[in-house]
Amino acid sequence: MKKELKIKQKERTNPLAHVFDDFIRFCQSKSLFMLHYCTGCGAIELPPAMTSRFDMERLGIQPMVTPRQADILLITGYVSIKTLKRVILTYEQMQSPKYVIGICSCTVNGGMYWQSYATAKKLNEYMPVDVYIAGCMPRPEAVMAGLQRLKDNIRNDKKEHKGSAWKDYFKRYDYYLGNQQALFGEDWQTPTDIIAEAKLYGLETEETYGKHTKLLEKHQTPLLPQEMRIK
Amino acid sequence: MRPENYQAVKLGDSNEYEIFIGPNHPGIEGNYAFRLMLDGDIVVSGKADAGYLHRGFEKLMEGRLWIQNLAIVPRICVPDPAPMEVAYSMAVEEIMGIEAPIRAQWIRTMQLELSRVAAHLFTFGGHAATTGMYTPMFWGVADRDLVLDLFEDFTGGRVYSIYNIPGGVRRELPPEFLQKLSNLLDYLESRQNDYDNLLFTNQVFVERAKGCGALTQSQALELSVTGPNLRACGLAYDVRRDDPYLVYDELEFDIPRQKHGDAYSRILVRRDELFQSIRILRQIIERLPSIKGKIRTPIPNPLSWNVRKGEAYARVESSKGELAYYVVSDGGDKPYRVHVRGPSSMHAVQTLEFLAKGARLEDVAQIMFSLDACPPEVDR
Repeated sequence: MKKELKIKQKERTNPLAHVFDDFIRFCQSKSLFMLHYCTGCGAIELPPAMTSRFDMERLGIQPMVTPRQADILLITGYVSIKTLKRVILTYEQMQSPKYVIGICSCTVNGGMYWQSYATAKKLNEYMPVDVYIAGCMPRPEAVMAGLQRLKDNIRNDKKEHKGSAWKDYFKRYDYYLGNQQALFGEDWQTPTDIIAEAKLYGLETEETYGKHTKLLEKHQTPLLPQEMRIK
Repeated sequence: MRPENYQAVKLGDSNEYEIFIGPNHPGIEGNYAFRLMLDGDIVVSGKADAGYLHRGFEKLMEGRLWIQNLAIVPRICVPDPAPMEVAYSMAVEEIMGIEAPIRAQWIRTMQLELSRVAAHLFTFGGHAATTGMYTPMFWGVADRDLVLDLFEDFTGGRVYSIYNIPGGVRRELPPEFLQKLSNLLDYLESRQNDYDNLLFTNQVFVERAKGCGALTQSQALELSVTGPNLRACGLAYDVRRDDPYLVYDELEFDIPRQKHGDAYSRILVRRDELFQSIRILRQIIERLPSIKGKIRTPIPNPLSWNVRKGEAYARVESSKGELAYYVVSDGGDKPYRVHVRGPSSMHAVQTLEFLAKGARLEDVAQIMFSLDACPPEVDR
């Protein structure tokens, strides 16, 4: 029994719509829950940033333990290939709008481990990144400045379009999937159906589909939620 | 196991079920995972799942110059990086047949002890948080930050200092540094009562930690446990005293130990060690001004520096346990082979699996944090 869900975006006729949008963006930027995936060294500078000395909460940012309720995904340091799979799973589980912050130089270009066989070098090949905080490792002040930058980006998204990198994942899914497949093999798949989500958000473009998504369809074995849990 | 293939296993008629803790989980230390088979809330067996932080360190070091390796060695253990630099420098010095000047050795000792203080303060908070107490975490991190400020003052880096170099240390201490250090030690000592009331004698914590994850001496030795975890079992083994390096043979300090080998004993040993470190630092403050001289034995141009053929094994006592570097040189400009003997791989894999068996689900996180393992060092 499968029912087709038909979602139609209502036309926005209210003349005050942009005011509401502005207000929503303002509220979003003031209350962000952050999932800190402690992938590497940078995690050690987060406790000082979160606790009493630098106190991230005065920016309205608090740690959150589950990806489904988090807005920001912090990638703190180098991502080994084994970790990257989990990072992508985590990222896809998060609800939109979602933001990614890459802390430490290792997420920018491989940093100190540029020649390592075990790490993924550039994070933005696998998921859209909103803000990079370079440094090895960045000081808590730099982390705070990066978070402030993210808040400003969200706030001024209407003018500058810097705070909506998450849409890129749906718009150019084929590119990101291709990079993931190059690293993990052709039969790489995640439980999340990104293409269906892209349709739902109305974000599908020509670049959403491509040869990599075809490959995904070929290998994908549909899993019902029940099957994913208990066998 | 690939995450997309992971499925919780339910076995036929048995009540046993499997759960997966980590790698992104508040009850796990760093990027590390643990698979548990449970019956009710009693752990039947546990299996560590490491490799999330693997960078291939020992291979990376073979491809870099001797001096370049100094930049990556501290990254092996993030909360306590100073012993890594010192051990690597000591190993290279041994191959080269040179010795650091006496003043450099005193400064290195000071750096090691400061790093131990910082690492222990960090651990208290983590361990307390697993029992539901979050205030010690805030206190520990805030007090650790004061130590990091001192690190920044004399090495230039908050966490990773890269202050050592084969042959000595890079910079002379800044003026009035020892006074600042002395003030910090006064402050830390004045906090002793607060920490005791909040954490070490607090019944909320004591009731949870007593008897949790107990090891006997023989079990600990079989599992290669070292450091504070071994001393919590009653065996006073410390590399600083039993195989003295740097200037530890000129310093007076006790080796704190406890009897029971459980989580509570382990945190008490760390508490006592913190105050022993303060005692050592006080002696250093007293002696250091009278030790004059160079801080560096000259080495050849580091960019074209061939270390002569040989091998060396240098070990130090880090805050986690015995840490050693085995360095082999074939006479080239890069190491032929470097092996790191880290304490955490013994604690986080085999000891944790052993202790988890029979423990309750809510105690697993506490056992893990009480062993004070450092996941980046497990995987390297």
